Amino acid sequence: MKPYKLACQLLMAATLGLVCAPAMAATYVMSASADFTGPFADVSPSAVSGIRAIAAWWNETKGKDLGVDVDIRVHDMRYNAAVVASTWPSILSTEKPIMHLGFGTPDLITLMKRLPEDKVPMLMSTAMVGLVWKPNGWHFSFRPTYSHEFVGLLNYLQKKKGGKLVIGALSTQTAAGFVDQVKGVQKFAEVNPDRFAMLDVQWVDASPVSVVNEVRTLVRQQPDVLLVGGTTAQVIATGKALRELNANIPIIMSTHNGLTEVEKGIDLKEIEGSYSVFAFAPDNQEKLPVRDLYNKYHTGTGSWGIAAAQSAYQTLLALRILEKAIAKVGKDNVTGQAMYDAMLSSTFTEAELMESLPDTKFDTTAPFPVGKLKVKAQVVHDGKITPLGNDWIPVPDLPKW
Amino acid sequence: MLPTGVRFGTYATEGRYIHTRLQALWFVAFLLALGILPHVVGLYVTGVLTVMFITLMAVYGLQVTVGMAGQINVAQSAFMGIGAYAAAKLSSLDVPFWLAIPAAGVVAAVLSIFFALPAIRVKGFYLALTTLAAQVMFPIIVIALPADWLGGTSGIAVEPIRVAGLELSSPLDMYYFTLAGVILCSIGAFNLQRSRFGRALLTVRDNELAAEVTGVDVSYYKVMSFFAGSLFAGVGGAFFAYYIRYVTTENFNLLLSIWYLGMLIVGGLASPLGAILGTVFITAVQEVFHAFGGALLTAFPNLGGGLVFATSNVILGICILLALIFEPRGLAHRWGVLKAAYRIWPFPHS
Repeated sequence: MKPYKLACQLLMAATLGLVCAPAMAATYVMSASADFTGPFADVSPSAVSGIRAIAAWWNETKGKDLGVDVDIRVHDMRYNAAVVASTWPSILSTEKPIMHLGFGTPDLITLMKRLPEDKVPMLMSTAMVGLVWKPNGWHFSFRPTYSHEFVGLLNYLQKKKGGKLVIGALSTQTAAGFVDQVKGVQKFAEVNPDRFAMLDVQWVDASPVSVVNEVRTLVRQQPDVLLVGGTTAQVIATGKALRELNANIPIIMSTHNGLTEVEKGIDLKEIEGSYSVFAFAPDNQEKLPVRDLYNKYHTGTGSWGIAAAQSAYQTLLALRILEKAIAKVGKDNVTGQAMYDAMLSSTFTEAELMESLPDTKFDTTAPFPVGKLKVKAQVVHDGKITPLGNDWIPVPDLPKW
Repeated sequence: MLPTGVRFGTYATEGRYIHTRLQALWFVAFLLALGILPHVVGLYVTGVLTVMFITLMAVYGLQVTVGMAGQINVAQSAFMGIGAYAAAKLSSLDVPFWLAIPAAGVVAAVLSIFFALPAIRVKGFYLALTTLAAQVMFPIIVIALPADWLGGTSGIAVEPIRVAGLELSSPLDMYYFTLAGVILCSIGAFNLQRSRFGRALLTVRDNELAAEVTGVDVSYYKVMSFFAGSLFAGVGGAFFAYYIRYVTTENFNLLLSIWYLGMLIVGGLASPLGAILGTVFITAVQEVFHAFGGALLTAFPNLGGGLVFATSNVILGICILLALIFEPRGLAHRWGVLKAAYRIWPFPHS
């Protein structure tokens, strides 16, 4: 081949590249933690399916319009801090994510100190704990702390009942996060002594065989509700103990140990009137556009439920942040820093979030939404899990504990 | 077994681990390989190796307490946690890492004495229960302490290591840092067993009565075996704290203590080599199983991830069971047999 011919071909290729480049989609990676082979292996396929379905929908619709493609890279972190620490550097160097979709405490404790240096914000789907309620972090969740979520429901129940609401609690001391949940609620009862009374906490094993003695101690003091925010095994044991003691007291739980999980171990009729509370729309809410999207775009393993809903909402919020970042810096210039800036400078409305989350606004003071927090709940009604109304329940102010 | 012609003029010469030039060459090659490895294997495996080195420090300690002195300890993870908290606290007080790491080891060692005291009176299952108490009490006490001491439920952040103004935080930095640490611990572990202290521990393990008759203070050495074992665990915990850079009680649970014990049993209780082989073997099994489990779940999604998690723990149990049935002296003994067979080849070795 003659040199001038080669030069001409190269010039043409370069020109073609320049002409086509603006029309090509910019691809950004969002990394995600999962636990396929650890203690939460059973819920991970559904959780990941929620992420993938929403990303597929976004890429096909909004992403196409914007000329942006989001590549979700899921990593099996085994719910183990050491695995997160080993895996994160390779994610950072090879994938260069603009955001990390986190899962659980191991991600939090391992990455929270590194993220500001790595300039990658992390968005969690699990509720926060008081232990990471610190300013200027790059770790966030669309859910406030477990204590905030519990307090929202407790406040609702107290208003419904009138008078003082007596709260019994049962938890485990071997996990810092579970102790933290209780401390937050204790603080709330402490600052509202005319409306709430908190009984002595009953500390039990994480996987107790029986909690009859502990529940009997609580039942004697006639609590209105029993708060069990720890493990599924504790909720099941509490339900069985209440039946044994012939007591009918509603149990309040979260999502990780919620009604969907508890249903696998106990007949829900035995815990009639019990609640799961969380800061997002229940998976079985009557009108839920995100569920419709999931059903349309879901392929492979996993199914719709509380785990898929949580991760779908997490992904939806992450993608809305990306849209705001693109609007600010352009579709070709999105970085972790741009995502962080867009996250902190924007308000995400309930409409934008398709009614899955309330209006959401972040700032540097806390790793969860600020302003008027809201929750929703599920309740056991006639032995079935049903949403507790359609409206958001406001969360009262909760001072740091 | 040594090659023909190797003889010793002094007891000290005989006690050396490296006797021939070829052995020295192999050793240097091994160290060089460890140095080059992270540049070959990628960042993920580098991270796995870093955690493995930290684990090895804890297992070295267990080898002292369980292997050398014959005292059961199922709280090694808690002692590691004590070291991690100590290092984290010291780092928050701007104490440099070169002081914080040995100090963390000493703190863990001193606190272990409280749980070692029952060893003077009880043994076997009873002693296992007292150390189990240490493991159970560790998170409860840390959480119950005032939050400004050890962070309470929040845990405690760890400042990164700084050397001459440079921050060591990249995976490669941490790999070499922990490699240096594990080499120092290896020197300590291998020399401990042939020291006066180590020989006393071996005597206590083999026959307490005979040890007492020969003038060994059995009670003292039982307690000191916990001290020395927890010193290693505390140092390992400090390295873990600097690696993860955030310490909470959830990182140091009973399951980890059981894994460490499993590593030692599979590798062989009798020597630090057993600790090395057991740690490498179990880490490799975990990683291979994890990779295989992931592939299996991709191919057969209906299996359910919980099955893989449960099976990985069953596999550890099977490894320990097989080791106890077929090679109770562990991989270290098998390694010795292989070495001897290689040296006298082509002659048979029984």
